[in-house]
Amino acid sequence: MAKANIIIIGAGVMGQGLAEAISGSGHDVMLIDKTTKLAERGIKGITESIDHEIERWGLTKSDKRAILARIHPSSDLSQVEDAEIILEAIPDDLKKKKKLFEQLDSLCNTNALLITNTSTLSISEIAAVTDRPEKVIGMHFLNPVTKIPLVEFVKGLKTDDETFNKAVQFAELLDKQFITVNEYPGFVTTRIIVPMLNEAMHILMEGVASAKDIDKAMKLGFGFNVGPLTLADMMGLDVVMSWMENLLTELVEHKYNPCPILRKLVRSGNLGVKTGKGFFVYDSEGNKIEENNVNSVKVN
Amino acid sequence: MNILVINAGSSSVKYQLIDTSNEVALAKGNIARIGMSASVLTHKPHDRDEIKVSAEILDHIIAIEYIISILMSKNHGVIKDISEIHAVGHRFVHGGEKFSGSTLINKDMMKEFRNLIELAPLHNPHNIRGINACMKKLPNVPMVAVFDTAFHSGMPPHAYIYGLPFIMYKKYGIRRYGFHGTSHRYVSDIAAEQIGKPITDLKIITAHLGNGASITAVDNGVSVDTSMGFTPLEGLLMGTRSGDLDPAIILHIMAREELTLHEANTLLNKHSGLAGISGISSDMQDIITAVDENNFNASLAMETYCYRVKKYIGGYAAAMGGVDALVFTAGVGENSSRIRQMTCDNLDYMGISLDEAKNNDANGKLTDISSTNATVKTFVIPTNEELVIARDTKEIVEAM
Repeated sequence: MAKANIIIIGAGVMGQGLAEAISGSGHDVMLIDKTTKLAERGIKGITESIDHEIERWGLTKSDKRAILARIHPSSDLSQVEDAEIILEAIPDDLKKKKKLFEQLDSLCNTNALLITNTSTLSISEIAAVTDRPEKVIGMHFLNPVTKIPLVEFVKGLKTDDETFNKAVQFAELLDKQFITVNEYPGFVTTRIIVPMLNEAMHILMEGVASAKDIDKAMKLGFGFNVGPLTLADMMGLDVVMSWMENLLTELVEHKYNPCPILRKLVRSGNLGVKTGKGFFVYDSEGNKIEENNVNSVKVN
Repeated sequence: MNILVINAGSSSVKYQLIDTSNEVALAKGNIARIGMSASVLTHKPHDRDEIKVSAEILDHIIAIEYIISILMSKNHGVIKDISEIHAVGHRFVHGGEKFSGSTLINKDMMKEFRNLIELAPLHNPHNIRGINACMKKLPNVPMVAVFDTAFHSGMPPHAYIYGLPFIMYKKYGIRRYGFHGTSHRYVSDIAAEQIGKPITDLKIITAHLGNGASITAVDNGVSVDTSMGFTPLEGLLMGTRSGDLDPAIILHIMAREELTLHEANTLLNKHSGLAGISGISSDMQDIITAVDENNFNASLAMETYCYRVKKYIGGYAAAMGGVDALVFTAGVGENSSRIRQMTCDNLDYMGISLDEAKNNDANGKLTDISSTNATVKTFVIPTNEELVIARDTKEIVEAM
């Protein structure tokens, strides 16, 4: 197997999107998860995403072969030792991320660029568990990675310029534009979008308008490509709730308190597109098949 | 003089080492799948068998390294020392309005080349990568860029301006540039030679029908119109490109299928043309096989393809006020008598008529395929862009 200079850890939705984007730009990439089965499930997800893009005319079958040939699944974390760029894309859980960075610190070569892909967590806190906090940087990619042209660079308190410049080169390689943010919970994108999604949920809960109409209002009224409730379903309602909770913990403001309707959906396992039900109902390919799944939800 | 001709694509580099004293290609080959897990180098010395080598070739620099080392290798090489490469000629797709002829490459030029990326984002970056790689490996060897667009730089404004607000031309350089210029130039010169008249006395239509396809009106040796436009998407139906269509269709499809710019671009460039209409293949040979099996869509694709070429022939004859010669070249043009026949069918009224036997026998060979009563000479002329690049390179390097 070809050794990859770029390694992604975490073969979930984010890791899959990153692997597809990196491979799509012509580079070999290794996709590591805890077990071979999980890593291979990542490859399956990427294959589905490419097939969907072929249906939408965006890729060809030969693109598919080339992209998949450059992605190497693995469950062996020690593969990171020779890599130049290591991108962490595991769930946004501070404890898990800290543990992983401790391991990376002992395995990676000293010049490696260590990137954490987090939406809300503190880069400095993650970097602090390593002996090289200056080499750690946050890059917040947005889902779907292959389509969203933006990445947020988050410098930790000790991130040095060399690391930042390397990260800029990496973003350019992926043809992404970037903004630079100072470390602060939620950065720019998550900080603005999450309370907005929450507000849309409150509007639904209070019976002001249907889910369909709330989305229609924001699409036609403000030029959103996707309405807020559909967007929440796409992001995963559990993910949205964890962001809200992270913001609430860090900033301790009532406005970051997850809407009861969100808590209820997450508790009941209705997590949006990935489970087939959220604010709307979806088929197995993620196409919306029913509007207003939770119209009847009333919280008194 | 030995000239290394380089044609660098996104994941491939084609090369030839040409001895300009006798215009023989000492060796030719290509590297495919650069940056992928198993790259393949195909190499053919002029006096020995072709070989294929699998290797891990991660980028263009390593590709050029491989090319140089195989050219010097004991068993498959054709030169002994790197100093026997006297100059390098690079194919460069888009020269914009800045470059109307081939040019010596220097550092300032590289800046100009980078400025041209905006006009040809799919091709120019790879050409630049090829030049950079050669500069690294052959730092003291003179290099020349030969542009696909240069031959068309003599087009009159009424042929290159689109019916858009003029400010679009001023602001973004939106105009017809044309491509395959090196090929159109080469085959029109050969046609004039065959007729035995100076090219400055002739009206020639050259049809370069490959996977990409374009057709050019060459009046007195100057390209006065060509079917490819601002990008290589316009004009004839191609393997996977749509060619001409109503621009409103794109807006309509984008709205109906909620496509992004990237998706719309891929739809037009990679899912359309012969492949799109037939649903079978982008390769004309596959299409013809399917036509013989009575496949409706394959027949439709083939008929549409030929009809489009025929319309342009009529249009360019009108534009030049007549035509003396018609040339077929490139993959399909050189090798498919069926396509040539179907394209020229019913053009007797304008003096174009083919000799069936000659046409059938002409594949891949320089041949006059016109019938005895034709007033327009029709030729099959194998193109040789590499030779033009080598000739231009030699001329510029010798004048240094």
